[in-house]
Amino acid sequence: MTLWNRILAAVDDKEASLQAVRYLAGVLGGSDTCRVMLLAVLQRPLADAVPDPAQRKALTAEKRRQLSESLAAARKELVEAGIPAANVEAHLEEAGGRTVGETILARQAQGGYGTVVVGRRNLSKAEEFLFGSVSSDVVHRAANFSVWVVA
Amino acid sequence: MREAPELKERAQELAGRVLKQVRLVTDTTEFMALEPGDVVELQGRRFVLLGTEFEGRFGLDEQPKHWVKRSRDLEDGSPRILKLVFHEEFVLPIGQFKIRCFRSPAKEARILELVRGHPHFMQGHTLYDAAGNPVRVLERIRGGPLDQLLSDMEMEHQQYYQLHLRGVLERLVPVFQALAYLHRQGERHGDVRRDHVFVDQDSGTWRWIDFDYNFDFRENPYGLDLFGLGNILAYAVARGEVTLYWIKRQRPELVDGLSADDFSPIIKNRLMNLGKFFPYLPRRLNNVLLHFSAGSRLFYQRVEELLEELGPALEDLPRPAPEEAS
Repeated sequence: MTLWNRILAAVDDKEASLQAVRYLAGVLGGSDTCRVMLLAVLQRPLADAVPDPAQRKALTAEKRRQLSESLAAARKELVEAGIPAANVEAHLEEAGGRTVGETILARQAQGGYGTVVVGRRNLSKAEEFLFGSVSSDVVHRAANFSVWVVA
Repeated sequence: MREAPELKERAQELAGRVLKQVRLVTDTTEFMALEPGDVVELQGRRFVLLGTEFEGRFGLDEQPKHWVKRSRDLEDGSPRILKLVFHEEFVLPIGQFKIRCFRSPAKEARILELVRGHPHFMQGHTLYDAAGNPVRVLERIRGGPLDQLLSDMEMEHQQYYQLHLRGVLERLVPVFQALAYLHRQGERHGDVRRDHVFVDQDSGTWRWIDFDYNFDFRENPYGLDLFGLGNILAYAVARGEVTLYWIKRQRPELVDGLSADDFSPIIKNRLMNLGKFFPYLPRRLNNVLLHFSAGSRLFYQRVEELLEELGPALEDLPRPAPEEAS
């Protein structure tokens, strides 16, 4: 069942996602009726790109550290805005072969989150064509929940 | 590597010339040191090297690919291409972007397994040398690249459109379907270009070749392959590239009617709205091309989406009488 006051906010180490968290803090600050799940998605380096397992492991650990820091900073932002700490969870999840967008959507479906919040980088059409966009992916596949895109 | 006089007679027979020396190579790591006449041993199979392959890119001078060797199987004499392990990482300029690419022998080895027996992919298998290098042993395809086939058709475009375009695109559809198959297996080609569709002159089939490129795009893993398909489709429709420079030379009166939206969002001087240059192109076919233009509101994300629209669009193209098309 979708619960509209359950919010899933995607976090990474880019400015656009931090901006989305600040927006969320501004909108929800002081509210004790909503529950927020901050989600960071870890993409391990491709074995084709980094054949050396030790190097892959080191790169993964570094990425995990960066994402954990981003999650902690995002949580602090929301709690300082007056959302009870007990209502803000943070979770780091491995994509495991999925895209970041797919991972967010899977977590949304699993947790019945009524609102998904994503930041949007200022991508050109060419960049979106070639590289794709998490926010576009989430918006295009959204069904029975709302998406806040913070640009 | 050691001198192997016992192999000399057979190696000379297959090479068709006298060889100064024949060396048996069990470790191909230092591929630059290999020479014609060397015999490479891979899991008990032996191949005499005949030379290095060259690759040209769209009319540029051909460059030697030192890690790709022409060879013959010492046992049955069959021609084989040996692709040795070369880990290369480089920046590929595509339009205004610089994309980090890398060669992955492991990826090509995986794909060769996936496409075994598939008529629209080059065929081969992977054998390991004594150092554990995965060497791809490929069947040689006699023929030439698709762009050469198309450019050899010397005729006015309108005649090409009337007589050949439908046939060309009908042959291209299964090649695109083959790429969709690859994507469904979670793999990408990585270097979709018109000269990587090879026309097999023996079987008549068109085949994808060279799939060792890879890149680290996660959100749109097949985006670069799709971009390549759009370019191949436009090339096949126009039987060449229609660039702004070319339009200015050939049809300057059209220039004022063109906008940035008519061109590729990535190669900004390449016309994708070909209906403006060839007004007789049917609307449905041109609409497919428009999905690859800067003016598109929605880009294809999967090959199947492209095929769903390309298939019906072919019905609008002239079907020549058999005697006309021959």
